[in-house]
Amino acid sequence: MSTDPLKKRKTKVIRGDGGTPETKRIRGDADQDVRVYNEEVELEGRDTEQDYILYKSTCEAVAKLMAEIQDLKASGAKEGSMEVEERRRRGSVHFIALKKLNRMAHMRLKKARDQTHEAKQRVDVLHLQLQNLLYEVLHLQKEIGKCLEFRSQHEEIELVSVDEFFQEAPAEISRPHLTKEDPHQLTLARLDWELEQRKRLAEQYKSSLCTKEKILKGIEMKKEYLNSLQPGLQAIMQASLPVQEYLSMPFERVQKQAEVARHLPPPLYVLLVQASAYGQACGKRMCVCVYVYVSDTNLSVSISGDVDEAKALSRPPEDSQDDESDSDAEEEQQNTMPALFIWTLNVSLVHAVKRSPPSCDVDGSILHLFFYYLMNLNILTVKVKVSASADLSGAISAGELLNPESLLNCLYASDHGQETPNPANRYQFDKVGIVSFADYVAELGHPYVWVQSLGGLHFSSDSPQVEGPHSSLSASHMESTMKLLRGRLQARLALHKQFSSLEHSIVPVSNECQHLFPAKVVSRLAHWTMMSYEEFVELSFVQHVMKAGLVRNTDLFFMATVERGTARLQAAVVLNPRYPEITPLFSLSLLWKGERSGRTDDNLRAMESEVNVFRSELQGPRPGLQLLTNQMQRLCVCLDVYLETESQVCDGSEGPREFPREKMCLRTARGPNRLKPFKYNHPQGFFSHR
Amino acid sequence: MNNNKSGCIFICVCFYFLKSYALTNRRLVLLHMSVFSQTFSPCGRFLAAGNNYGEIAVFSLSAALSPDATGMSQKPILTFAAHEGPVFSLISTDTHLLSAGNGEISAWSWAELTKRVSNEIVNQLSDNSLIVGGGDNNIHIMDMETGTFKSVLQGHKDYIHCLSFREREGELLSGGEDGAVRIWDARTGQTVHCIEVFKYEECTRPQFGKWIGCLTTDSDWMLCGGGPALSLWHLRSMSPTSVFSLAGCQREAVFYQDLILTVGEGPYVSHCVPGGTVKAQIPSSSPSLNTLTLNLNSNEHRVMTTAGSSDQIDVFTNFSYRAFSLSF
Repeated sequence: MSTDPLKKRKTKVIRGDGGTPETKRIRGDADQDVRVYNEEVELEGRDTEQDYILYKSTCEAVAKLMAEIQDLKASGAKEGSMEVEERRRRGSVHFIALKKLNRMAHMRLKKARDQTHEAKQRVDVLHLQLQNLLYEVLHLQKEIGKCLEFRSQHEEIELVSVDEFFQEAPAEISRPHLTKEDPHQLTLARLDWELEQRKRLAEQYKSSLCTKEKILKGIEMKKEYLNSLQPGLQAIMQASLPVQEYLSMPFERVQKQAEVARHLPPPLYVLLVQASAYGQACGKRMCVCVYVYVSDTNLSVSISGDVDEAKALSRPPEDSQDDESDSDAEEEQQNTMPALFIWTLNVSLVHAVKRSPPSCDVDGSILHLFFYYLMNLNILTVKVKVSASADLSGAISAGELLNPESLLNCLYASDHGQETPNPANRYQFDKVGIVSFADYVAELGHPYVWVQSLGGLHFSSDSPQVEGPHSSLSASHMESTMKLLRGRLQARLALHKQFSSLEHSIVPVSNECQHLFPAKVVSRLAHWTMMSYEEFVELSFVQHVMKAGLVRNTDLFFMATVERGTARLQAAVVLNPRYPEITPLFSLSLLWKGERSGRTDDNLRAMESEVNVFRSELQGPRPGLQLLTNQMQRLCVCLDVYLETESQVCDGSEGPREFPREKMCLRTARGPNRLKPFKYNHPQGFFSHR
Repeated sequence: MNNNKSGCIFICVCFYFLKSYALTNRRLVLLHMSVFSQTFSPCGRFLAAGNNYGEIAVFSLSAALSPDATGMSQKPILTFAAHEGPVFSLISTDTHLLSAGNGEISAWSWAELTKRVSNEIVNQLSDNSLIVGGGDNNIHIMDMETGTFKSVLQGHKDYIHCLSFREREGELLSGGEDGAVRIWDARTGQTVHCIEVFKYEECTRPQFGKWIGCLTTDSDWMLCGGGPALSLWHLRSMSPTSVFSLAGCQREAVFYQDLILTVGEGPYVSHCVPGGTVKAQIPSSSPSLNTLTLNLNSNEHRVMTTAGSSDQIDVFTNFSYRAFSLSF
């Protein structure tokens, strides 16, 4: 009790009953026989009601006394009088009583408070205990829960089923007498058994690993051995190459080709096979060797494996003057034309013009043909390149002759190579929005019909290509196409040379053709220029040729001007790409004392006929490459005859003729239209009519 | 050329030696073709034309004029090589077609030609005389039955372009390159008259020359032209009565009813009135025309055909316009 120490001190105070105002403290008194006055004990004996009444009465008494004193004082009593003193003493006694009562009250209060406090404390303690217990309960509940939920790892182990376990496990592990009753023991036993089994299996595993390692090592060793053989074989093959070349048995080359050729798409493969077969079969005129090579691919498509292999086989083409090599087909992927997925593998065909008899002047030029296969469109295209042995920069007008874009135009009649021959492509184009294939010809090559035939692809108008490429189709076309190609190259190169001569106003006439013309030809070629189709169409004197349908926009057009004195003859020449199979067509216009053309003047028409129609005379020795120059020379001769036999009296003037008669003519006019004698007779050297 | 009822047949021919040549591309050939002569069959249903390559083509006129004619009916039913040089003259007898070229005269049976067979027949003709004017400046008269030449008329100084026969008087007219029109007595073979047309001021055209290209006679009247302008002559007085002002040189002229039809340089057929005016010029398809014939043998196929410096033969059903063209 907190008041105990205080109480202990207080008990030192001796108090009398009735309460005297004087107090005495006796300190440090450890006497046990001092009278202990315990007011608290007294407190319990007193009644609160009574105390309250006492308090009231005491207060009244004091009040009364005070009033009496007051009265006394008012009535003039002296200070220190007996009544006043008495009353003062009584009042003080009452004050003491009041003080006691006050103390009592305080003590009661304190006691009550203490009691309350105590009780509260007890309640608090209990409360705390309750809380603790509750907490503990909760905790325990959680723990229980955890325990109940606890999954032991052992439950994750797949154990064999109980029956199996009992069958398989040895007795010391399974201990059936124990485990049959006790599930805990059973589980333990099962786990034991599991452990045992796993140990055994682990042992086995280790041993198998060991054996595997050993076997692998063995394999490695054998592989290394084999690899070491490969360089040796390569060395042998390399060494045998010169031998192969010497013996003309290029096995290795052929083999490598076959290797690459396996990866080619079918049409290209057909082409390759046919070309190499033809190359081997053709005689002395053309020596054909077939090469398959892979050049740099400039596309981003990747067909892995094939392309890698193909790249690994890359080697440059052999540039042989006497040889033809195969053309490679290249495929490119076009970003602008997603519909055309072109596969690339190079197959290149190099066509060389064989050295011919000494008179031929196209010695050793090579025609390179690059064949492409467009997979999505299923057509073959070709690009061409000419590497000529001679310098070809001489002639300005010959610019178009060897233009790779048009060199192979119209190899067969009307085979322009501007549109795809596969009718199915029309639908593909419509889907992608491409209007015509001609726009892409420059990049993708020309899809000539003969190229398709060489690859064995046949497109008829009613049915698209359904089966694969036909090699028989390719075979039947190969020879004729090769001959045409050779002829085309020869013709173009010959023309090139002739043009450079024509541009220098010299008409080259070979020795074999001298007999066609008289020794002296006065008219001379003044100009030789090239024209475009549009310029040609504008000319007034060519309309009859246009109307007869003999001119196409694939033809080449030239203007020749022949002059003698004041006379000027303009000749518009139409050169078909298939020259010299098709004769060049001349249309004439003469400016001499007025303008005349073949339409107005029958003699000019006869001159046109003389130059255009008599191909068999003018083509010279085979293969007829002199045709154009002979035509030019004949034109000059005819102009001579025309001018010299023209009657002097044309404009009514007499006087010296501008062109004296030098040519020998039997007769200067014949027939109702009085044609001049344009035909030259050799060796007599006179002119006659046909 | 006229088909004379008395049996004399005239052919103008030129002799020349010619090498053969190969004909290549047909279109090229057609482009440079000229038709020099035409004649109708005796029945009037067929037309034969000769060109500068020595070919003769036979066309079926009845097929071409029928209402259901197609493009193919304007092509010849038969084309054959007759001579080595140009076929300058064709003439029809009652049974045969005579063609002249390169120094030879060939006769073909019309019956076989219409059956598309051409076999040359020589000397199987009835007794007529064939009068041939040639490049050797002479006129030869040949007996067709025997095939021998009976007489030669000499006098021209240059080759002969055209011949004409004056029935009533039995005289032969010839025009040549030397510019002279000679009138011969057919029996004696002597020159009766010689007219040098270029000496007449009305007609002469020195810028074209003096040659006489066409000649035709109507007994009293004669038409001649060529280098000189086409002129109508009165034969009694031997003087030109009218001169036709046509631009080019005329190569053929005929009398038809009261018209004069003439062709020559220039792509048209000229219709002229004997008074001297040029009434009309009907366009044709060739730049210049060499020959003009009228089908007088048949009533239902009465057409005029012209041909010249092209492979087209124009057919005029109504003489005022070109109806269609036959083509070699």
